[in-house]
Amino acid sequence: MTIRIDRRTFLKGAAAGTLAVAGWPLVGPPRREERGGEAFASGTGGTSIAVAGGGKPETMVRGAVAALGGMSRFVHRGDMVVVKPNIGWDRTPEQAANTNPEVVRTVVRMCLESGAKSVRVVDRPCNDPRRCYKRSGIKDAVESLGAPEAVVEYADPRKFVEKEIRNGKALGKWTFYKDVLDADRTINVPIAKHHNASRLTMSLKNIMGILGGNRGNIHHDLDRNIAELNTVMRFDLIVLDAVRILTANGPQGGRLQDVRPADTVIAGTDPVAVDSYGATLFGIAGHDVPHVLYASRLGLGEIDLKKVRVLKV
Amino acid sequence: MRVRTLRRVSQWSVFALFVFLFLNTEYKDNDVLPYAVNSFLRLDPLMAGAASLAGRAVIALVWPALVTLVLTAVLGRFFCGWVCPMGAVIDASDAAFFRKAKRKASIPPSWRRGKFLVLFFLAASSLFTLQWAFLFDPISILIRTFTVSVYPALNLVLHGIFDAFFRMPESVSRVSEPVYGFLKSRLLAFEQPVFRTSAFVGILFLGILAAGAFQRRFWCRNLCPLGALLALAGRFGIFRRRVDVSGCTDCGVCAADCRMGAIGADVAVTDHGECIQCMDCRAVCPEEVIRFSGSEGRAGAPVDLSRRGVLASAALGAVTVPFFRVEAHGKAPSPSLIRPPGALAEREFLARCTRCGECMRVCIANGLQPTWFEAGLEGLWSPVLMPRIGYCEYNCTLCGQVCPTGAIRRLPIEEKRKVRLGLAWIDRSRCLPWKGESDCIVCEEHCPTGSKAILLREERAQARGGEWRTFKRPYIEESLCVGCGICETKCPLSDRAAVLVTARGETRATGELAR
Repeated sequence: MTIRIDRRTFLKGAAAGTLAVAGWPLVGPPRREERGGEAFASGTGGTSIAVAGGGKPETMVRGAVAALGGMSRFVHRGDMVVVKPNIGWDRTPEQAANTNPEVVRTVVRMCLESGAKSVRVVDRPCNDPRRCYKRSGIKDAVESLGAPEAVVEYADPRKFVEKEIRNGKALGKWTFYKDVLDADRTINVPIAKHHNASRLTMSLKNIMGILGGNRGNIHHDLDRNIAELNTVMRFDLIVLDAVRILTANGPQGGRLQDVRPADTVIAGTDPVAVDSYGATLFGIAGHDVPHVLYASRLGLGEIDLKKVRVLKV
Repeated sequence: MRVRTLRRVSQWSVFALFVFLFLNTEYKDNDVLPYAVNSFLRLDPLMAGAASLAGRAVIALVWPALVTLVLTAVLGRFFCGWVCPMGAVIDASDAAFFRKAKRKASIPPSWRRGKFLVLFFLAASSLFTLQWAFLFDPISILIRTFTVSVYPALNLVLHGIFDAFFRMPESVSRVSEPVYGFLKSRLLAFEQPVFRTSAFVGILFLGILAAGAFQRRFWCRNLCPLGALLALAGRFGIFRRRVDVSGCTDCGVCAADCRMGAIGADVAVTDHGECIQCMDCRAVCPEEVIRFSGSEGRAGAPVDLSRRGVLASAALGAVTVPFFRVEAHGKAPSPSLIRPPGALAEREFLARCTRCGECMRVCIANGLQPTWFEAGLEGLWSPVLMPRIGYCEYNCTLCGQVCPTGAIRRLPIEEKRKVRLGLAWIDRSRCLPWKGESDCIVCEEHCPTGSKAILLREERAQARGGEWRTFKRPYIEESLCVGCGICETKCPLSDRAAVLVTARGETRATGELAR
């Protein structure tokens, strides 16, 4: 029965002109435990991303995800979902250092609407986690849903497990957050912003928030490392927040003059394509962001936007 | 209800309040703490008096201490028996561990003079600006011990237990994890706290409790200067022990039972300064001739204090002060002595600082640590920011909110962000991009000032292998650096960081500003 509903929803989305996603079975991606090895739905064949602009954050998120076929394509009834925003800094939403709380709340709400059994929002911040969760507005935004299934959690230091990084040149292995690896569905909800080391930080760089250990050491060959770390796990859905973008002094920012409204939300399953589109908001291309380039060379997605089907909402 | 029960209820209620305030001396999603968590120290007339005297200031924050003094003048030394959380802990320890102790070595009653000598020593040194009261003040000791030793140790042990359950098969962890979650939300710290001097502080505290092996309430009888102050203030209170001499058989049960040794050889004579009004004597008297109101029995015993003793201890307190003032750190302070944001100028700061450790308890990144001797012997246990352990959170003002004496000023957030604790500098011989090893930028990324106080400049340099490459090298922009130390905390080098903060350029205020 679940499958039938999903198919119907999916067909509705397809009717809206989103059938271009090749490689996906009609019922959506296989559940994590059913996937063998690195079953990446790679972006080599007909990647689609959805770009919503010029509305309220909630409208844009809903529009973008609907264009991809709706949340029910990604989250099924009974799924345990982990949502991973960027809650890295003790900054307010206006300062655009963390994912927009409205965007996070909408994603969580949509997961619940699709029948998720639990939705856990988690990140491993740079500043004190309590301050970051609070001042980012994300904790209050999610809790305002009043849904017991949706919880904002602090990362539990006991739950980082070591994973081997195949093809890893610099990092042989690193610890990842177990709950993310074990979840039925994972949704990456980064913010697009400037980063002084990696130039920009979007969905690929957001994987840093599920890493354990001394992350400072990753910065020694940051761009390559970000790409290689993304070979360990792939999020089922990316919702890139570009409602406000931080254009300088990133990733932490702090000055309002560095923040620019971009009123955009980008959704997709291909992190390289999503990030490449995100880069255009800053006036550059995916090729100009070294870790995105490395990721594309590792086959993690399509960097050439000409080969990506961009569904404008 | 029996008086003894009533007293225990009072002691344990106050202790519960103490623990409640202690547990709430922590960031819990409020930039401003909702409770006056420093209430106990502000009620403490010893600390209030010493800080005011040594700091040459009228400290408005400690007005509640006057209430304690007035109540004591009226009611006597009830504080020690009914209120003091340290007294409650000592009573509990005496009852639990030393109930059956055969106290062979009988402590002479004259030892009770000790606490007065301590008091006058502290008063005289405070008069000459050296504040040592923190060493003996029971409230300061208790909060300090809880902060630095007991609570971190409790966290360690409970975490150890639940981590072991967590690693066991799921049938165990399924039961243990909800319990752990509950403890985590109510009792345990957000992250395991660590402190310097924790073993030393913990052992001193155990020593105080262990003295119960020799005598009940050994600390309160013989050493506690707050007890001495309240003994002097409460000698003439109206609420006091009286014995109906006509009915007294001189059986001595009351004297044998008195936890303070306040009953003399003539059991009708009370040392009112020593009596803490626990009223146990009234309960044990077989003839029921002891009351705490009504007509006077015999006159109270005089205070056990000689003029010579007072003068000698006061003189000692005064004479030692210059020794402290000629310590070389006064001329060349330790560069690592980074004080909390809003700390007063060093002399005033040490005069006021109660060493209670509330600022360290509340410090969100565990960065505030007790000193050993960086600030001299005089500065023992005063707070210092140690960035390698934890940094000063840019948007946090909690330490100034909890300081009971204003040694750390309570700063509005806008003002706090401008306070400079010190300045960072880069050790170019260790910094990765500086020595041509790799790019890094971690310090720059974490620098919290809107316009970064750490700038990156792209410079061509010879890499390790000899080839020329471009590196992003960090520079400190000193006009913007606030010395928060997050760069030093986060620097990925192990042991010593390549970016370090010293107290150079710190902004400190005088007490004038504090009022």
